[in-house]
Amino acid sequence: MVAICGGEIIEEAEIIELLEKNIPDGLLSVAKSRARKVSAEIAPGTIRKAAGTLLSKGARLIVIAAVDAGLDVDLLYHFDLAGKVVVLKVKLGKENPEIDTIADLTPAAEWAENEAAELCGLRFKGHPKPGHLVLSDKFPDGTFPLGKPFKSKLPDEIGPVAEAVITVGATAPISSLEERRRVEAGLPPQPPASYSSESQLKEVHELIRQTNFSRQAGYDWKRKKLRG
Amino acid sequence: MKRYALFLGCMIPQRLPSAELATRKVFNSLGLGIVEMEGYTCCPDPILARLMDRRVALSMSARNLSIAERQGLDVVVLCNGCYETLWEANEFMKRGENSREINELLAKVGRKYKGTINVRHVVEVLYKDVGIEAIKNQVKKPLGLKLAVQYGCHLFREVSGGDIWRKPKQFEELVSATGAEVVRSDVDQLCCGFPTSHVDEEFSLKHNLLPKLERYRHMRVDGIVVVCPACDVQFESGQLALRRYGHKFSIPCLHLVELLALAFGVPAKELSLKFHRSPVAKLAARIG
Repeated sequence: MVAICGGEIIEEAEIIELLEKNIPDGLLSVAKSRARKVSAEIAPGTIRKAAGTLLSKGARLIVIAAVDAGLDVDLLYHFDLAGKVVVLKVKLGKENPEIDTIADLTPAAEWAENEAAELCGLRFKGHPKPGHLVLSDKFPDGTFPLGKPFKSKLPDEIGPVAEAVITVGATAPISSLEERRRVEAGLPPQPPASYSSESQLKEVHELIRQTNFSRQAGYDWKRKKLRG
Repeated sequence: MKRYALFLGCMIPQRLPSAELATRKVFNSLGLGIVEMEGYTCCPDPILARLMDRRVALSMSARNLSIAERQGLDVVVLCNGCYETLWEANEFMKRGENSREINELLAKVGRKYKGTINVRHVVEVLYKDVGIEAIKNQVKKPLGLKLAVQYGCHLFREVSGGDIWRKPKQFEELVSATGAEVVRSDVDQLCCGFPTSHVDEEFSLKHNLLPKLERYRHMRVDGIVVVCPACDVQFESGQLALRRYGHKFSIPCLHLVELLALAFGVPAKELSLKFHRSPVAKLAARIG
């Protein structure tokens, strides 16, 4: 399928190329998801660059949809580029749900951002006219009707097990007290498990990263904890 | 000397190191060699961890198996949960095309599992590779005890169409080989309740553990023998937890390898039985 852009025809592949060329570092994935539709996931910090790129080609903002996925809010910026739908997806961590506004680039974003802000608790930095759109001005602060609890999709009972398995490769690692007791018993302080060797644990972490499970579970590698 | 890659799992080194000690002593007495599995991870746990994510669970299991395969050794496990997880993963990986996806993941960390080894429960190794007569020959102190056996749910894991009572019967025979009397009851096959304790501790204590303990007390058993550290934790810590609900029990619970070590004449003090939260040391003192 092809589309007309400023009187010119543009194919899905060209839209993909356009995004790849203009946001090389912020483009996390991009694909033709079906006929007349291109879907891309971009880093939050690149939304103005990405939106600006599409708008400069004559694109029109259709809608911004905000979906609370538990740990993150998925912001889906839908553009119409000469009859084709281009969806820019931004995953916004709920620890700091802030992103640059694009309302100054396209006025159509003004109300859409206001709506996402008041319903899902997002902040649009630099928004020209923040405030309620569909909710009453008297609606209590800090209450977001479409917000969900800050937690992953893992059942509560599995969370601690998942956290331990990702962090040390074991459900029950040895504490310092248990180490002392093992030594008293004539055993090595730790068994030859992955958590007793830095290089082995590094390998286990890489294996888990490769499965993408740590991302799905919302594991924070810096804090060594599950988010939420 | 026949050698095995010893898979200790998570709970034995942490909660039941006396079983780790006993295994080394029993294997040594029987002329079996143990090779450590450097860098092993959780099997992972057959109840909760395997529900997290199929690819994580299988790739971690396959990585564990690859450690033993590099050594060219079968894996021996002391835990029913580890047995089921690793055994099932091994069966999966041995079915050629199934293993491709998991081996692609392993390749990214420089590993491969070809499926050339077997996963063996310690019960199978002792019964089949050593044999009841050889075990009896090592018994220095025949145990005149009346013992209940907790098979544990995962010990019944068997090939499709296989005899699910194969390993539980072997377990009973091994206990009998020490000179102890194995007493049976209608609660033997009831789960100890460990898995459900993660979700509802009170339910697991009252609906799984309590009926078993009441029956065993009524039968005046001297102790309960397990082949799974999770069952052991449930029986030992569970007896203490049941006091909160007005039920007082004091029944010793120990692992099969500890029982064998005692029967083989290993002094109780060499087994660090103080790790137990039930009166296993007192039971050992009776053996002398």
